Amino acid sequence: MDIVRFEPLSGEGAGRALPVSSLSNFFESANALAAKQVCRKKNSLLHAGNYEVDEGDLLELARAGGALVFSFSDLLPESGFRRAIIISKMRLALAACRKRGTGFVFATLAKDASQMRGARELSAFAAVLGATDVERKEAEKNMARLACGAAKPKGQTQSNLSKVPSASGISPPSAKKVGK
Amino acid sequence: MKPTERFKRRYISFSLSLSGKPPAYQEAKEMVHSHFLSFFGESGVSSLAFKLVKYDAPSGRGILRCERSRADEAIFCMACLSSWKGAVARLEPLSTSGTIKRL
Repeated sequence: MDIVRFEPLSGEGAGRALPVSSLSNFFESANALAAKQVCRKKNSLLHAGNYEVDEGDLLELARAGGALVFSFSDLLPESGFRRAIIISKMRLALAACRKRGTGFVFATLAKDASQMRGARELSAFAAVLGATDVERKEAEKNMARLACGAAKPKGQTQSNLSKVPSASGISPPSAKKVGK
Repeated sequence: MKPTERFKRRYISFSLSLSGKPPAYQEAKEMVHSHFLSFFGESGVSSLAFKLVKYDAPSGRGILRCERSRADEAIFCMACLSSWKGAVARLEPLSTSGTIKRL
């Protein structure tokens, strides 16, 4: 669910991969004001680090065909009570997305190889947040639509996609940061 | 108690590594137990029907048991393990089955 494009597997595995955070329609928002600007953009993938997105913004995101990104790597550095708070915020954000008809996707947004997680683990992550089986499949379709279909990676075209440098599970810190 | 009245079980095979190497049996047992306990709490672990069934120290592979309806939570808990006593740790779920034989 996280690596959205890769070259045919060689003997060494997926050598050339493209993480979600390097897509041109991926945005990270530091605060609510920044999130509001991103929500109006068409087909955007919004990652709100604090998961405190206004319901009006979610409605705009739904109208623009975008999706909210739930990242597993946001949980990993935390432990105990702080992790519980983040999971709680994610659950509330997911419920708000459901209420407003906004799409959502689940990704690891891994910053290094140790933060990478498998599809089964991401599926369990979605289930714990309260997503049903249908919603999990819908999230995969959203990812396919927003990442593989419409969007092109930053500075890349579909024709020269194979020249993307090897990610090998490591996400380059090239995501657009808004509101900093 | 009849088998049909008991809780339904799921067995999850996993691969455990600590700093890139499989830990010894006692350390692995302590790591898995304390991580599940800190994640679910005492009440949660009891209702999860959690048990470390098997662990093979040389390969780092093992099997744990949980309640069927909470298998997703158990896998999520396993995925949340990222460090142990300052070292990078990984508890990777490999497969899930209703019987140990099928794993």
